[in-house]
Amino acid sequence: TVTVKQQKDAPMLKVVIRCLPPTLTEEEFLKLVEPLTGHDFFNFFNADSSLGQYACSRAYINFLKQSDVVNFRDKWDGFPFKDTNGKEYPAVVELAPYQKIPKRSNRKPDPR
Amino acid sequence: QRSKKQRGRYVPRCTNTYRKLLFKDLSKNMVEKVLKQMRKLDWTDQKVKLYAMKCLSSVWNIKFGNIHCMANLVAGLVSYYDNVGIYVVDGVLEDIRAGMEINHPKFNQRRVSMVKFLGELYNYKMVESTVIFRVLYSFIRVGVSLDANNPTPFDPPDHLFRIRLVCTLLDTCGHFFDRGNSKKRLDCFLIYFQQYYFFKKSLPVFDPEARPFPLDCDNAVMDTVECLRPKLKFYADIEEANQAVADLKRDCLQKLSEKVPPEQLAAFQQQMNQSNDTTG
Repeated sequence: TVTVKQQKDAPMLKVVIRCLPPTLTEEEFLKLVEPLTGHDFFNFFNADSSLGQYACSRAYINFLKQSDVVNFRDKWDGFPFKDTNGKEYPAVVELAPYQKIPKRSNRKPDPR
Repeated sequence: QRSKKQRGRYVPRCTNTYRKLLFKDLSKNMVEKVLKQMRKLDWTDQKVKLYAMKCLSSVWNIKFGNIHCMANLVAGLVSYYDNVGIYVVDGVLEDIRAGMEINHPKFNQRRVSMVKFLGELYNYKMVESTVIFRVLYSFIRVGVSLDANNPTPFDPPDHLFRIRLVCTLLDTCGHFFDRGNSKKRLDCFLIYFQQYYFFKKSLPVFDPEARPFPLDCDNAVMDTVECLRPKLKFYADIEEANQAVADLKRDCLQKLSEKVPPEQLAAFQQQMNQSNDTTG
């Protein structure tokens, strides 16, 4: 079992990739950053259209090792992703401010 | 009972129902009922799930006073679908950050709502205090230049909105930072916050005669701080506040030097100075 203290001292492993082109889809992103290994959580958010011209897609990855986080940052931070019109969006790779990831539980589905 | 195929089509038609439930009907007495309805959604369908989570984080659509109901609702849903909470919190934090980068007045109400929502999520134990403090410091540090001759477009000299955001967040959940570690953290933060506040106040755009520093902003800060730390003495001016920050840093370094080997300390010191100089 993990104590609260251990949880707090754990290294930050959840990474957010911000400022991706709004037209980018999850499949395209995964194809671009392939091969993505050593992670146990991946989540992709499509652009929020209510932000209008400022809308951007983003993705979250939780790595298992700190070295993977650094490698990923070195490789993709500032990488210019292109949208369908060829406009470039330099990605921003950061540690996510919120580090929790969904528990892999075998809880019964909600009986509703 | 609907077949699976029919249920797939069920989403767009019912969108309006859910929007009405969440954005119009949601109130203190309705949370239980809305929660029941939300649980009836087909959460296994990726599209439905994404749409529902988008709605759950669009708190600028509801009345400002009802934002705590939305936080309550999310906290209720988490006991059935725990990833909902994580997605919503991630979305809220991203929205707050994006708001700072876009800095367009049209999003001001949305930004205040989002910050309030984050505070309420803390009250419903969805995020820890670490996250709250991370956001608080980001308000007074990200894209901020404490050099009067070198302003940034993200926080122009006459722009006081960041102060408003700090006050909103502290008003919402600051009263829980009254003991233990979070109490110490808030005390530290208030020193930095005063530095930022007096820096803004000392800028030449605010001339006591032609354009005095807005009274409502002054009052908002006073009210917030007085609520949280009634005995706290405000610094007199920017010099005193700067001095307090410098003292705090020195004390911290001293405490660290007793525990950390010297080479690590040097690296830390360098980092500290850098964060002082940089604007981003």
